[in-house]
Amino acid sequence: MVPVVKISNLDKYFGRLHVLKDLSLEVMPREVVCLIGRSGSGKSTLLRCINFLEEPSHGCIEVDGIKVAGGEKGKKHRQLVHEVRLKTGMVFQEFNLFPHMSVLENVIEGPVIVKGMDRQKAVDLAEQNLDNVGLLFKKDEYPNRLSGGQKQRVAIARALTMDPKVMLFDEPTSALDPELIGEVLNVIKKLANAGMTMIVVTHEMGFAREMADRMLVMADGELIEDSKPADLFSSPKDARTKALIERYRSGEL
Amino acid sequence: MNIFSKKQNIPTSQAELIYEAQTSKERRFRTNVGLSWFILLFILVFMFSGQDITFGSTTLSGIQIDTAFMANNLSFIAGGLGETIRISIMSIALAMILALLAALGRLSTFPPVYALSTFYVSLIRGTPLYLQIFFFFLALPQLGIILPGLIAGVLALGLNYGAYMSEIFRAALSSVGKGQREAAIAIGMTPSQTMRRIVLPQALRFAIPPTGNEFIAMTKDSALVSATGFVHELMWRSIKVGRAQFHTLEALIMAAMFYWVMTLILSYVQSRIETRLSKGDR
Repeated sequence: MVPVVKISNLDKYFGRLHVLKDLSLEVMPREVVCLIGRSGSGKSTLLRCINFLEEPSHGCIEVDGIKVAGGEKGKKHRQLVHEVRLKTGMVFQEFNLFPHMSVLENVIEGPVIVKGMDRQKAVDLAEQNLDNVGLLFKKDEYPNRLSGGQKQRVAIARALTMDPKVMLFDEPTSALDPELIGEVLNVIKKLANAGMTMIVVTHEMGFAREMADRMLVMADGELIEDSKPADLFSSPKDARTKALIERYRSGEL
Repeated sequence: MNIFSKKQNIPTSQAELIYEAQTSKERRFRTNVGLSWFILLFILVFMFSGQDITFGSTTLSGIQIDTAFMANNLSFIAGGLGETIRISIMSIALAMILALLAALGRLSTFPPVYALSTFYVSLIRGTPLYLQIFFFFLALPQLGIILPGLIAGVLALGLNYGAYMSEIFRAALSSVGKGQREAAIAIGMTPSQTMRRIVLPQALRFAIPPTGNEFIAMTKDSALVSATGFVHELMWRSIKVGRAQFHTLEALIMAAMFYWVMTLILSYVQSRIETRLSKGDR
């Protein structure tokens, strides 16, 4: 099988700060990969490098056969980055719905404006995805009338309507009230069960343990662990992973 | 269901009582302010009524003004209203375009563009509007560029207000969070699509109320364009008839009233727009 996402020797610097250190990773089709680690370990940056919200300093990103070298400039590079973005769907911690558009308009914006899809076709597709996240009845509401959990589910529908090959979740439940986390995690689970490839940056250890095919642990810009959840929890290799699991067990996470 | 609950309006809870007390206090305050306004207006009108009023031994006499002159020239001066509004609308349109460009330049990471924007704002804000109007009307002909008074006035006002309003537009553009841009980019939008579809609509919504304020200010600053002598707006007309018949006092009072009423109406419209917009999203 060919990996959907292949990251080779990725380096990222913010000025003189070395945030990602020679990092390589492959994600296979239908795989659910959860990325955990303390704040500042570089996990969000890694995720954002995949769709070039952060431009990698060195190394290579390959998504569904589109190979882009980091740190380059020029028209060709921008075109490749654009193609990669069309193949990735991203869900942000802060939802980032467009407040001046209704729920439906939020969801069809990408297909209509970016892909030039026929509006009616986009609406059909959007309604189907909104139905999948259980929010079809809110399609004419504006985002400010939705709860955080509902906003995040719309954001997921918005990303899905672009028909991505891989979904990137950047701490999708961190900005939510505790009682709203469940509804968002359920949608993500449903998506995983439907066979979507995804990379999830999360602090929800319980969710990761249950859903992940692989768990990756990051610390100081490096991948220190890459194993099945069961192995990770029973026999962590690195001391930093152990500390993380201790904190989870003690109920801190 | 208690069928009686709807009938009684007597506040019961403590919160309701406090709310009641606060609103009635506020209402009383506003009534008194309104009353005082009325008295001040009455004093102002009385001052120019020519009437005498005696308190014991002192007599206050109002200023005598020629009401016949006012009646005769009312339509002439009022005829300048349209021109005043026309200048203001044309200038605010120009100012908005320049302000937006200057604001975008100010947010640019390309040094020459950033410099051009700050240079423009600095130069225009560092010189008087009056000077700028004369520059366009009287200085440019020396270089062979002869502009009609109206065009010179609109250019000067537009450039001037554009420089001041660039701050408004800059704030409006920065009010749209980084997350909005990122979400647009993540679904594959190009920078120009992101700007047109996501950032600008939100920024303009933010910029509308303060732009309204600038427009109100501009209707008054448009009086400066009368200095060219070729734009027959409110100010020019009142000066003209006032000087000719030595009734500048009356003429200026009339012009002042027109400006004042116009400002009141525009402020009202402005506050309506503001409440309308604040009800919207976000």
